[in-house]
Amino acid sequence: MYKLSEYAFVAGGLSAILALITSVAYAASGLRAARLQTSPAAMTGRTIGFSAGPRTASIGLYATLLAWLAAAALTASLVFRTFATGHGPFANMYEFSVAFAWGILVAYLWFERRYHQRLLALVALPVAIALMAYATTIPSTIEPLVPALQNNLLLTVHVAVAIVAYGSFTVAFAAAILYLVQPEGGRWGLPKPGVLDEIGYRSIVVGFPFLTLTIVLGAVWADIAWGRYWSWDPKETASFVTWLIYGAYLHARVVRGWRGTWAAALLLLGFAATLFTYFGNLFFGGLHSYAGLG
Amino acid sequence: MADQARTRPVPGVPPADALEEVPLIDVDGALERLWSVLTSMRLALVLILVLAALALAGTILVQAPPGVAADPEARAEWLNQVRPKYGGWTGVFDALGLFAVFESIWFRLVAAALTASTLACSIRRLPGIVMTATRPHVDVAEAFFEHAPHREAVILREGPTAARQRVEATLRGHRYRIIAGSDGATLYADRFRWVPLAGLVGHLALVVIVVGALVGATFGFRDPDFVIAEGSTAAVPGTPGLSVELVSFRDSYYANTGAPSDYASELVLYRDGAEVARQTVRVNDPLRYDGTSFYQSFYGPAASVRVADEAGTLLFAGGVPLAWSMNEGNRRVGTFTIPERDLTVWVVGTGGPSDLVVRPGQMRVEVYRNDGSATPVDAVSLDPNKPAVIEGLSFTFDRELQFSGLSIARDPGTPIVWLGCTLLFFGFVIRFTVPHRRIWIRISRQGGHSRVAFASVGRGDVSLGAEYARLIEEVGRGPAATDIARGRAATRA
Ligand code: HEM
Repeated sequence: MYKLSEYAFVAGGLSAILALITSVAYAASGLRAARLQTSPAAMTGRTIGFSAGPRTASIGLYATLLAWLAAAALTASLVFRTFATGHGPFANMYEFSVAFAWGILVAYLWFERRYHQRLLALVALPVAIALMAYATTIPSTIEPLVPALQNNLLLTVHVAVAIVAYGSFTVAFAAAILYLVQPEGGRWGLPKPGVLDEIGYRSIVVGFPFLTLTIVLGAVWADIAWGRYWSWDPKETASFVTWLIYGAYLHARVVRGWRGTWAAALLLLGFAATLFTYFGNLFFGGLHSYAGLG
Repeated sequence: MADQARTRPVPGVPPADALEEVPLIDVDGALERLWSVLTSMRLALVLILVLAALALAGTILVQAPPGVAADPEARAEWLNQVRPKYGGWTGVFDALGLFAVFESIWFRLVAAALTASTLACSIRRLPGIVMTATRPHVDVAEAFFEHAPHREAVILREGPTAARQRVEATLRGHRYRIIAGSDGATLYADRFRWVPLAGLVGHLALVVIVVGALVGATFGFRDPDFVIAEGSTAAVPGTPGLSVELVSFRDSYYANTGAPSDYASELVLYRDGAEVARQTVRVNDPLRYDGTSFYQSFYGPAASVRVADEAGTLLFAGGVPLAWSMNEGNRRVGTFTIPERDLTVWVVGTGGPSDLVVRPGQMRVEVYRNDGSATPVDAVSLDPNKPAVIEGLSFTFDRELQFSGLSIARDPGTPIVWLGCTLLFFGFVIRFTVPHRRIWIRISRQGGHSRVAFASVGRGDVSLGAEYARLIEEVGRGPAATDIARGRAATRA
């Protein structure tokens, strides 16, 4: 099981890299087509306003298929590992990094299906690949759980919910990056700013409640294990900061003067906070420190 | 959510701004100004970000342990410890309260302002939401049908009366409520009209959580470092009449890594001497009795010590938890007092095999007079069961025990906090997943046919747009309608 999990992880990593390369080729093909002005207005889809413009469709299809393959391989890797360890993928940074990468792939594929925006992959996949690369630097050996981590169900749900939130936030980050690199009105055949704004919002609409749930479940667990639902432990405080930033974003989208660029900037800030929360273990101690590299 | 507050769905004007312009409750003079500040979304946004920045400082900077801030001496010592890390900034951070952010005046002020603002906002939004649900704005200008974010028109091969019946039947089939406009040509249909209240509940939930935290801080009690040695009974702090006994403590370790696999304290609770509860407490499995909870927190060695006077009367007998560690020599220490002789005794455990003063297996007692003197009256390293006489008293070290570190808490605010969390989560989930559907319809005669125009507010929402599109398709699918003019515009600008 342990070996199978490792093989599946490698397969997932390779598929993700290939998916990224194909996505870049797909983006470039659109660029060229846009330059040549040969756009035959391939906007026949029913989802009006969400057409990506002229691109070599088959390359895009391969990119998507490879991303699916990567997600499937990582799913297998996590499932095998769960069987090997007997608990969910939360006991150390290796397991959690693979799960985070998995969450990104799944969230990306979900939004890609819904909004037909493959180019989100240009940002989302590098993040997922970076996490997998990071995972390879951490020993993946299986170690028994310290007592505080032995409350399996609560912990599994706590982490699973966090993964969904983090995956959605990465998609929002991708949308914000693509939004901010373009001049007003759109450029380079990238998704239209309005569409990106919508995708960013929708990912937060998914991610925000999931982050809320993560924090609440963390508080429930802290109350059970440590007798105090909130103790300003650095990790929980960092997730609270993340939550506040995305809360601010939800308001920014409806306040004059904050809409658009500033809202997108808050998505970048939120993602920075997400990463800080995630990697926080490495530079602050606290009650979560046992979940670190040891 | 703010859609509801507007008196007229003006195309292109985003919902929340309209909210800021419509004072729904008027309060006089200064109060009015305060009110408008508190209900400003811009202020809310800034407050949220400031709170985030303060909390971030609390994660980046080392926070002083509780109690240190109040004790000037401990504080100075603690600051010296962190000075190498922050250099010249140490004083600045300390002056700004950033080493105890969550107790700082800044944090409290911002949190209080945000709570007040959230409450004010909710109060302000309520009438608009109720109004939209009960007496919605039905009559809209013609231009609305040309500029609304969602809009479409179909031509039906039947007269306006039949067309209207068809539209109403279709919408009713989808559980829409329908209200006719005064001009006879306009219809308003909506569904889930009370859902915007969920957003309000989500906001109020934040206030509920703050209330819960305040209740806990005011009426609660917490001792995170309660130590008790095996075989001892001690009064439970903060809970008169209650005492706790540690019957035994067990710990076990993983053979391969040496990491703890389990540790557990067998506790018995007494109320006025009578046993009222008994449980083996482990991490994740606290003992809860009458609102007070006992959590397994940490553990360590203890010494069973006896002190008898010249006549052989026992002045002290029991387990002394060696709950502190000394920087010097890596030794663990504990303490107890002998009030009859006005003495304080420190019990010092061994620092390990290389410790020549307190050798492994030994326990050292250092006896101090309670007059503030820093030098002990005497100090002796005791072997088990070999008494030594100090100040005329005989000190015996029986054997080594273990102590258990418990966190004892009583927090009557917790249920309120859980209520708030539940409302928060479900409030926002419902608000996000079940949009208030609102459609305005205008039916006009066009030759022998009728033209049905649909329009709806709300930002571009793909699934909602698709739902509207399906509804409209269904309207156009009737036998009389073979000629459908599709005039749907892009759902977004
Ligand atoms: C920590 C404090 C706050 C948090 C976490 C928070 C969170 C949220 C969330 C998640 C939403 C989106 C759901 C919805 O539309 O109901 C929202 C919307 C909203 N919030 Fe807050 N809020 C906070 C404080 C405030 C305050 C103080 C105000 C008033 C000044 C306010 C006014 C609004 C309004 C008007 C909306 C509706 C925006 C729209 O039309 O989409 N919020 N808030």
